[in-house]
Amino acid sequence: MLDLSLEKPVVPLSPEGQAGASNTLDSYRTRAAREASRDRLIVLVSQVVILATVLGLWEGLTRVPWFVQNTFMDPFFISRPSMVVQRLYDWTVGAQAGFIWPHLASTLLATMIGLVVSVVTGFVVGLLLSQNPRVARVLNPFITGANSLPRIAFVPLITMIFGLGLASKVVTAWFIVFFLVFFNTFKGSCSIEKHIIDFCRTLGASPSQITWSVRVPHALSWTFAALPNAVAFSLIGVVLAEFVGSTVGMGYLIISSLSTLNATDMFSTITLLSALGIFLVTMIRKVERYLMRWAPEFRE
Amino acid sequence: MIEVSHIAKIYHSATRETYAIGDANFTVGKGEFVSIVGPSGCGKSTLLNMVGSFMAPSSGSISVNGQRVVPGKIPKGLGYIFQKDTVLPWFTVARNIGLGLKFRGVPQAQIAGKVDRLLAMAGLEGCHDMFPHHLSGGMRQRVALLMTLACDPDILLLDEPFGALDSNTKMVLHKELLDIWQQLGQTILMVTHDLDEAVTLSDRVIVLSAPPSRVVLDHRVDIARPRDVFSLRQSREFSEHVRAIWGVLGHEFKQVGREALEHA
Repeated sequence: MLDLSLEKPVVPLSPEGQAGASNTLDSYRTRAAREASRDRLIVLVSQVVILATVLGLWEGLTRVPWFVQNTFMDPFFISRPSMVVQRLYDWTVGAQAGFIWPHLASTLLATMIGLVVSVVTGFVVGLLLSQNPRVARVLNPFITGANSLPRIAFVPLITMIFGLGLASKVVTAWFIVFFLVFFNTFKGSCSIEKHIIDFCRTLGASPSQITWSVRVPHALSWTFAALPNAVAFSLIGVVLAEFVGSTVGMGYLIISSLSTLNATDMFSTITLLSALGIFLVTMIRKVERYLMRWAPEFRE
Repeated sequence: MIEVSHIAKIYHSATRETYAIGDANFTVGKGEFVSIVGPSGCGKSTLLNMVGSFMAPSSGSISVNGQRVVPGKIPKGLGYIFQKDTVLPWFTVARNIGLGLKFRGVPQAQIAGKVDRLLAMAGLEGCHDMFPHHLSGGMRQRVALLMTLACDPDILLLDEPFGALDSNTKMVLHKELLDIWQQLGQTILMVTHDLDEAVTLSDRVIVLSAPPSRVVLDHRVDIARPRDVFSLRQSREFSEHVRAIWGVLGHEFKQVGREALEHA
């Protein structure tokens, strides 16, 4: 017989049925977790394989006579991972124990000071200029001009003025990094929408309250976006200043190894510099992740 | 109470002058809910901006609660809701809602109490420590409303406050707005492009003409209160009001279309 009733009786789930449903859900969860950890493992293994291949080829080919004689794959030019490891061991705890620390500390100190000075000045100038559109218009051609200068060309001059010590390294880092931070902050600070400021004014905000509650946090989010690059460039600036004129630091070590034609020294220094760069960027990202926890791209 | 008398607004550009508003003239009584509708480009948001003191009229004067509005000086007791998101993303929901009180120098303990009461009223207790990006558009607009209500405004200017929301969320917020208004009795002036919304909420609907705009209709919506925003739209009364207003508003829309064709 044809059933014309529209309302179908609703059958409640039996206790067994509900248990079954939650079992399915649990097994789904374990499966998803397993797949995610498998995925992470594949990525990690691939990375290790790539690194091992590069280092293995480097180590192996520099031991094959044909390559050594006919190509640049000669330990004299490109050293060898095992020699680099040996040198790093010597410099830290081995034959020349402690040799590397003053150099590493000097470069690290200059990089950090350069970074802090650049970020603070770039942020403050960017924020102030964004609030004075007329001053910004007056300074615009000078800023554009200064930014298009080949800033590296000034490093010898900076060394001439500030001498062979810490000051010229910090100034070089600042000279390179300042614009990076300044431009980002300025652009970000100009991008605040008027209706947000109007809204805060209806809530009773004074101009200085608007600066602290709206302009500064908004601009900071743009400043932070420039920080990983700022760290890298600060390190570049310091090493550059050490190339040109200094008596201590990682850049100084590289230039000295050039005069003694010592590739192992160079690669050891470069390895340490890379590690330093990676360490600093990782730290900055951690700070950024905490301070920017309100932004969607950092949501957990 | 809001008095708008003979307001005109002319925009100057390099090549020509454009009359946005020709002669706007109306009053919103104390505790009244009035909506402004009109074809696009009739300057209804501009008008609201001028009442809020964000913009200066070219001629005429506006007064809020008997005080003449001076451009750049926010009238006392005025709250303003924008269509665009105005919740500050770097503060938690609670901090956002307490922001106005903090600006006014209210002690922290007092702010916390008031924020909790407002959150409870809106049923958002669970969002206290959330950052705004966790919330949907409708929830964020609710937070913006609470931010304003925390300052106890007796005048509310609403600039297409629900324009960016889907129709269901919109209706829920309509109900909440009416509940709040019935409790606190603010004077509300709302700009909207949604005629149904205007009729649902308002005591009066003002229709602005095509630019240079003037008031072409001041329609009283005498539907009894409290209104049920969900069932109201099915009622005969409701559609009669909508039809009466659309008779005038539709003509103005045609006018705008015709002029656009002539300028093309």
